[in-house]
Amino acid sequence: MEEKYLVCEDSLEGIFTGIYEAYSLKEDHNHLHIQIGEEENLRLFASYTGIIPDSGKAVKVSRTINKELGEETYMCICRALASEDRDKGEAVYKTVVCGLHMKNGRQVMGNLANPYVHKVFELSRSTNNEVLHLKGFLRFQELESGILFAKIGPKNNIVTFLAPHFADRLPLLNFIIYDEIRGLFVVHPASKQWYLVTNTDLDPNIIQNYSEEETKYQELFKYFCHKIAIKERKNLKLQRNMLPLRFQEYMVEFW
Amino acid sequence: MMHYKVMEDMSIMEKLGILTDAAKYDVACTSSGVDRRGDGKGIGNTAAGGICHSFSADGRCISLLKILFTNECIYDCKYCINRRSNDVVRTSFTPDEVCELTMSFYKRNYIEGLFLSSGILYNPDFTMELIYQTLYKLRREHRFQGYIHVKAIPGADPLLIQKAGFLADRMSVNLELPTAEGLSRLAPNKHRKNILAPMRQIQNGIKSNKNEIVLYKNAPRFVSAGQSTQLIVGATPENDYQLMTVAENLYEKFELKRVFYSAFVNVNEDKELPALPGGPPLLREHRLYQADWLLRFYGFKAGELLSEEKPNFNILLDPKADWALRHLELFPVEVNRADYQVLLRIPGIGVKSAQRIVTARRNGFLGFDDLKKLGVVLKRALYFITCNGKMMYNTKIEEDYITRNLLSVKEKLPFDKDGITYKQLSLFDDMSFSMQPDVTDTHKAVLGQL
Repeated sequence: MEEKYLVCEDSLEGIFTGIYEAYSLKEDHNHLHIQIGEEENLRLFASYTGIIPDSGKAVKVSRTINKELGEETYMCICRALASEDRDKGEAVYKTVVCGLHMKNGRQVMGNLANPYVHKVFELSRSTNNEVLHLKGFLRFQELESGILFAKIGPKNNIVTFLAPHFADRLPLLNFIIYDEIRGLFVVHPASKQWYLVTNTDLDPNIIQNYSEEETKYQELFKYFCHKIAIKERKNLKLQRNMLPLRFQEYMVEFW
Repeated sequence: MMHYKVMEDMSIMEKLGILTDAAKYDVACTSSGVDRRGDGKGIGNTAAGGICHSFSADGRCISLLKILFTNECIYDCKYCINRRSNDVVRTSFTPDEVCELTMSFYKRNYIEGLFLSSGILYNPDFTMELIYQTLYKLRREHRFQGYIHVKAIPGADPLLIQKAGFLADRMSVNLELPTAEGLSRLAPNKHRKNILAPMRQIQNGIKSNKNEIVLYKNAPRFVSAGQSTQLIVGATPENDYQLMTVAENLYEKFELKRVFYSAFVNVNEDKELPALPGGPPLLREHRLYQADWLLRFYGFKAGELLSEEKPNFNILLDPKADWALRHLELFPVEVNRADYQVLLRIPGIGVKSAQRIVTARRNGFLGFDDLKKLGVVLKRALYFITCNGKMMYNTKIEEDYITRNLLSVKEKLPFDKDGITYKQLSLFDDMSFSMQPDVTDTHKAVLGQL
């Protein structure tokens, strides 16, 4: 039988629409595949169909996943889709298929012997790890205006996973988290809901002047980090292992 | 109230330097803590898994602003840098200075909260009162809802300790030395019963608070993240068996959340203290943390790991592998059928991978490839398990043979100074080839620091 590829946009909406279309074809799932973006090497004896993201269809899929596979699985899938992996769409699609086949779909993430489920599990885990890392490693700097500003460069698209944590932590403060790789800003006005904007709406260059106190506290913290280390136990390898260099470049104590 | 001398001419930078330097040997972490969401009216929340904010040059995590309130002290403990007889610059913070530092560091996301310890200024009550005032200001005036770990000063008025307990997330009293004899030799002004009294008080406080919370949902929380303590390793001649027995007792009888082990660093060159030409006993500290994990999460007893005849841990093998080799009659274990508790005792299988095995085998038999995916370290586990009745290779179940093979897979230690074989060791044995350990796993594993 001919292999069919559904070419989807790299977004939650795009991939969920792809899953919707795959199911509406009512064909054997083994010969249907979801692919993200254009492939450079097209395969022989395979057909390619472009899928246009449709929020209505995507909502239906997300509702089914929530209902049949459970909220936890849904969060797992969302985290997996925040990764940069090219095969995440296919893995999520086949995981959904596997889950809907099971008697109790809520246990699908326990079925790690299935390679697609395992893939989703791994991607979700790596995204989650980065979220956990950045909850700690992110650094705010105070601007002249009193706004706290943080710049990050994460591997996965996680800024929306970080925002609720900091909104709960600093509810009375104005803060901005900027993902410089994807040009995304999380904006949190004091005592209000946070929202997401892209850099077409906000110019990153407006963030230049820091408050008078900012340098003082950066110096204090650097000194603290220096003093807290026990020189008899010095172990830079361990430090780098726990705190990879890619995070260090964004952290004041390593400047 | 007595006045204490605040050195007006000293800058906050100098004070921070001195009082951080003096606090660095204390171990504390925010993990195994509590989840508490912010109420929207202040600043801060806490996460049960703990959050590491940075790592210092020794590879230990920085999650709290760890400082002494003062390094003045009336005691003369031989191992302590701040002992009375040492000639060091003395200084104290004011409660307001501690609050300002905590708030400014916290909002920049440098720290997860405050760890406040202290030398004894004038007397225990006076010191505890200052600590209480600081906590009160932080919680009430600054509306700080982040994590606070505070030391209960032995000998202080129980009422003061009680009041501080209602403001802190975790309290700790350091036992420091495992036996009364060691304590009287190195800390002549401290008495074991003075240390155990506040520990018992906090334990009872936590218990009765739990009952209150059942009755009144909004009752104030008392030391909600539990209490911890610290043992110094290698300053006195106690063996590992004594240390583990003390730790086990603390967990069982005092219901401690954590016991921390701190490799002794000789700062005072006192004649009563051992010279440590090889540096602090890091390997021993590491073995103790491994065994501590076995007590808390793997259902082991101290008496199973060590005994009077064999009072110290094996240098070459981790305590779990060492135990398994002495109990080969229990192996091999069939992975597809064994109890969770039995799975936990197999070298190469950790808490996470054992849980995953139990879930995954509901969907069919697991083979060796599947185990690898689940995070089992087959290089270590293969001598102890069967899948569907078959062992992975044709191996002998014989102590010498397995020991030799386990030793050829070099153990990964966090402090291997040559760095060539360096890799983070996870106590959950979860560093498989296809699956990375969770951040929290790795963090918890290293020196039990976090």
